Amino acid sequence: MLTLTPSKKRTLFFVAMGWALLLIGDRIGELRQYQGSFVAMYALAIGSIILLTGYSGQLSLGHSALMAVGAYAGALSINNLHLHPVIALVIATFVAGLFGLLLGFGVARLSGPYLAGTTLALAVSLPTLANQFPILGGEQGVVFDVGLPPARFGENFSQYKWFFWISCLAVLVMLWLISNVVSSRYGRTFRAIRDNETAAALSGLNTGRLKVLAFSISSGMAGLAGGLLVMLISGVSPSAFPLSLSFSLLTGAVVTGVYSLKGVMLGGLVLVAIPEIADSLVTRIGGSEGFTATLPGFLVSALLILAVIFAPNGPGKLLHSFKKHG
Amino acid sequence: MIKLITTILTALTTGAIYALMSTALVLVWRSTRIINFAQAGQAVLSTYVGYEITVRSGSFWVGVLAAMIFGALLGAVIDRFFMRPIFKRIKSGPILMIAPVVATLGLLGIIQSIIGFKWGLTYQSLAAPVSTDGYNLFNRVIAFSPFNLLVVVFATVSMLLLTLLFQKTNIGLALRASAHSPEIARLSGIKVDLTRTLGWALAGAAGGLAGMLYIPSSYLYPNAMDVLLVFGFVAAVIGGLESLFGAVAGAMILGFAISFSTSYISEKLFFPMAFILLIVVLLIKPAGIFSSKKSRRD
Repeated sequence: MLTLTPSKKRTLFFVAMGWALLLIGDRIGELRQYQGSFVAMYALAIGSIILLTGYSGQLSLGHSALMAVGAYAGALSINNLHLHPVIALVIATFVAGLFGLLLGFGVARLSGPYLAGTTLALAVSLPTLANQFPILGGEQGVVFDVGLPPARFGENFSQYKWFFWISCLAVLVMLWLISNVVSSRYGRTFRAIRDNETAAALSGLNTGRLKVLAFSISSGMAGLAGGLLVMLISGVSPSAFPLSLSFSLLTGAVVTGVYSLKGVMLGGLVLVAIPEIADSLVTRIGGSEGFTATLPGFLVSALLILAVIFAPNGPGKLLHSFKKHG
Repeated sequence: MIKLITTILTALTTGAIYALMSTALVLVWRSTRIINFAQAGQAVLSTYVGYEITVRSGSFWVGVLAAMIFGALLGAVIDRFFMRPIFKRIKSGPILMIAPVVATLGLLGIIQSIIGFKWGLTYQSLAAPVSTDGYNLFNRVIAFSPFNLLVVVFATVSMLLLTLLFQKTNIGLALRASAHSPEIARLSGIKVDLTRTLGWALAGAAGGLAGMLYIPSSYLYPNAMDVLLVFGFVAAVIGGLESLFGAVAGAMILGFAISFSTSYISEKLFFPMAFILLIVVLLIKPAGIFSSKKSRRD
């Protein structure tokens, strides 16, 4: 019998996921490919929240701003430095990570409401800075064009499929890296700090430095997700990163269960599916303009509250407790 | 000279509104250790109620009273039938840290959707009871109107009343005791759960007043108070989250910082200034300006 180490199992899982997504991408229509790209992007962004909150015990309401940092960095490297889109996405990751590192030094000693307040102010103020610098294009923003798919894929290879490939590949590679990080020594130390910061410090961990590290990694993930988001909507502007995006990500993280990265795809699926469900509900039952515009927000909020009340530790733990109690 | 006077008066007006919001947030934080993001929704819903009453009765003052009473009732109901049951279920783990945030954010969304269902997303305007045209100063019209003066006076009076309530009455003593040490307060015979709910009710009334004073210079729509929530929160954090004095002082500092930087440097600094101020304050004192290390509990 072939035995595999956990890390090889993980790698195999991600390769299998990639293979499955490759097959799925060939068999679905353009709309589903486009939505699938959004699911992948949201999954990564939710993963960044889970890494920060579930693994290292910090709370951020400012991840929409960190996504904006990555998005602008990627857009500038394509438009002004004329780099390859894939390299631009890598740059988006690293610039956001670096930004998170600097921010982390400022906020790592803050906890609870102080951290929430600072990141909230960041989420509100950072996108408005785009108006201060002409290079960022003000309210209109700048284009983010990854170009047509390479000619060698053939003429039937659509733009949406190209988006789908880029998103899925980027997200799988990033999540594979992160899953290795959280199962390494660093993941253990993050969890130790989350569970009891004083005990972790007494055991010789440099808790401040580790919290900054977690914040930085999480920012890098958010930056890549931001780059993918503006690739899908072909341009980056302040209005693409409202505060409500941060809140949606938090919703996704809670619905997925903040303890574990395993369900991030589910969270992404939920965030993409809810507006669709709301749309179909509205076309079926009709209603006023106010009702139509408000229904998606209502469904997200209701789901959030239900998740907090009935499955505060995520659907996985809920099933587990059902099994235990019969 | 005129510019300086206008800037100071604008700072006072905005600071007064921020102070009401930050006070509401601090009242809830002190009594329940929850940052109430739903405050924006509660305040705006109370303002809608105040708006309806104002339209029906023809009197702005009856509307203010209605908004404050409704705000207080709504706050009490939310604490008693929503927050308390949730926190009975959640005892530990990382979710404990984000559960209050997530629960109140969810509630904010629900309240704003209910407003959308009922009143729609259109902008409504609420007429001010006194003139909103600026005063004349040295033959020039300045950006400070009789209504702005009314806002400052109302905010100041309500702060003074709150301070009297906290410092001079038995209810205030119970509120302070439960905030400072719930266990000991409970042993001394104070109904801690009841004072919690009272804290939420006071906060709700303050939010309703903030809405009625803010909306006449703006418009009424479901998200009308979101920006105020952020600034009220920033002000509360700057002030240290623990004391009413800190909340008011933080709001005034924020009001002055924003007013001066937008009128003397660039109008676009409106949002960034709040963040810059917050970062500077927290780098120097991680628990806000008016907090002693001892009083800070997580």
